Amino acid sequence: MSKSKHALPTIFGRDAVAYATLSLISLFCVIPFVWLFLASFDGNASLFLRWPSSWTLNNYIGIFVREGGARWFFNSFVVVGTATIIVLVFSGFGGYALSRTNAWWKRPFLYGIVLVRVVPPPALIVPLYKILLTGNDAVGSFVRSFLNPDWVRPVMLVFGLIDGYFGLILVFAAMQLPLALWIMKTYFDTIPHDYEEAALVDGATLFQRIRHVIAPLALPGLGAAGIFAFISAWGDFLMPLILLSSSELQMLPLGLFRAFLRVQQIDYGFLSALAILYMLPAVIAFGFARRYFVQTFSGGVKA
Amino acid sequence: MNYFKRTSWQVQLLLLPCVLLIGALVVYPAIYSIYLSLTNASLVGAAATNPRFVGMRNYMRLFADGGFWNSLVVTFWFVLGSAVIGQFVLGLVSAVLLRRPLRFKNLFNSIILLPNAVPEVVAGYLWISMLAGGEHSTLNRLLGCLGIPSVRWLEQFPLAMIIVANTWRGIASAMILMMAGLSSVPPEIYEAARIDGASPRQIFRSITLPLIMPNIFLYMLVSTVTTISIFGFIYALTRGGPGNATEIIGIYIYNQSFTAFQLGYGSAVAVVTLAISMAIGLVYVRVLRVKV
Repeated sequence: MSKSKHALPTIFGRDAVAYATLSLISLFCVIPFVWLFLASFDGNASLFLRWPSSWTLNNYIGIFVREGGARWFFNSFVVVGTATIIVLVFSGFGGYALSRTNAWWKRPFLYGIVLVRVVPPPALIVPLYKILLTGNDAVGSFVRSFLNPDWVRPVMLVFGLIDGYFGLILVFAAMQLPLALWIMKTYFDTIPHDYEEAALVDGATLFQRIRHVIAPLALPGLGAAGIFAFISAWGDFLMPLILLSSSELQMLPLGLFRAFLRVQQIDYGFLSALAILYMLPAVIAFGFARRYFVQTFSGGVKA
Repeated sequence: MNYFKRTSWQVQLLLLPCVLLIGALVVYPAIYSIYLSLTNASLVGAAATNPRFVGMRNYMRLFADGGFWNSLVVTFWFVLGSAVIGQFVLGLVSAVLLRRPLRFKNLFNSIILLPNAVPEVVAGYLWISMLAGGEHSTLNRLLGCLGIPSVRWLEQFPLAMIIVANTWRGIASAMILMMAGLSSVPPEIYEAARIDGASPRQIFRSITLPLIMPNIFLYMLVSTVTTISIFGFIYALTRGGPGNATEIIGIYIYNQSFTAFQLGYGSAVAVVTLAISMAIGLVYVRVLRVKV
């Protein structure tokens, strides 16, 4: 670690300032979580920070016993999980194509991806809603044309574009694809063409090459792309807010939000336990994603 | 590389699913919003089924609308205070300090990353508790120890509070990018400067800072764009209130479109926001100088 030598002959005073500054910043970062953690184990939690008078796990158990909790988890996992899988498949193929092609549209396309990535989601909610509403009517009349009326609603809850899993899955996938495509393109750029050429000489078709040569090599890149897609869709609040209304489809962000809006009788213990379980997958995923983080900004400049 | 040429149409075809999905649900909506902004489209009433073309009327209304200008000003301070100043300064300081061989280095690092990892609504929920009024709330109790009387933070200083909260959330992204910049500075330069007798402060100002300038610039662009797109965190925390003191542009679009049901007018706001983001995006494209 020759780099660290510029900290000079470490006089105690200099490091003390560093420790103090870092402790203050860390304190700022961690304090809001202290309340959340304590409240989630408190039998009588309130909005204010306090040491639990009685420690209990009831808040956590409640999530899976009371209405709501488990259902919200299920919905979030189904929607975000499916969207992530779509992102992985599409960006894997697309990133490979983008890396290997030399077509004239390659550079404009890459610029286009950068521009698509800066589109603020709130600016899209109105046209998206209108477009999905039109699509939803089409899906609805198609479903109604051959299904027993009793079955229309449950089918629409799954395949509907508005107030259905399918619409939200497509929107999440579309929103996460540009970044995933970018990650996969830069990742494939680092894989030498030799393996594919060898397979080609052996007479493998494009799809054999993808399946046996490229897919195994792509796994680390896919890991990074999938983690980012998952974190971002898992935490998103805007799209479920616009696109879902049925209580059967309620997802974690909305369930949590609506529960703490109720003015009377907010059960802070329950909400805090729910919030901790909700943030856990994102925090774990972020731990894995941290080392890929820089690449998501700079792409062409490999980090 | 003639084999790529031979199979190039097959390879290009692999990109089609991405193009279709992004085209249908990102690019087309963005263009469609320009059309919608020229109509009186609505969520309810006659205009919901048969929107009429109204030309520039929504834009005329927009530029005369105090609420719109308010949201632009709030967004401006929000971006400046949290992304450009708060996150950047704290992120740079953390990155510089964490390069030293300190004890608990990984612990500090993980704690600073934590706020960045939590979902928006959880972050909002945390800050509702932090900033609650009354002498028992976390912040008031902490400041009470210093003898500062309790304050109803979200009512008295709403804009400053969302800036503080968003700074909290984004230190990590600034820190990570700054760390990447710092580690790309060749150590020999420091060596040489030290031999020439430069003080640590001089080294930082005349060597480190200029050398990580590209990273700083990149961070500024990216964080400005992402901060403009924030919705859930602030909506969960304040819903734009009190009044419209924290109505950042995303919340304003949502309120106009889905609370006041004016889709056409909301689209006009969205188009203005899109234009701002695209302008920054074009600079971003130039800076990246995409390697093909």
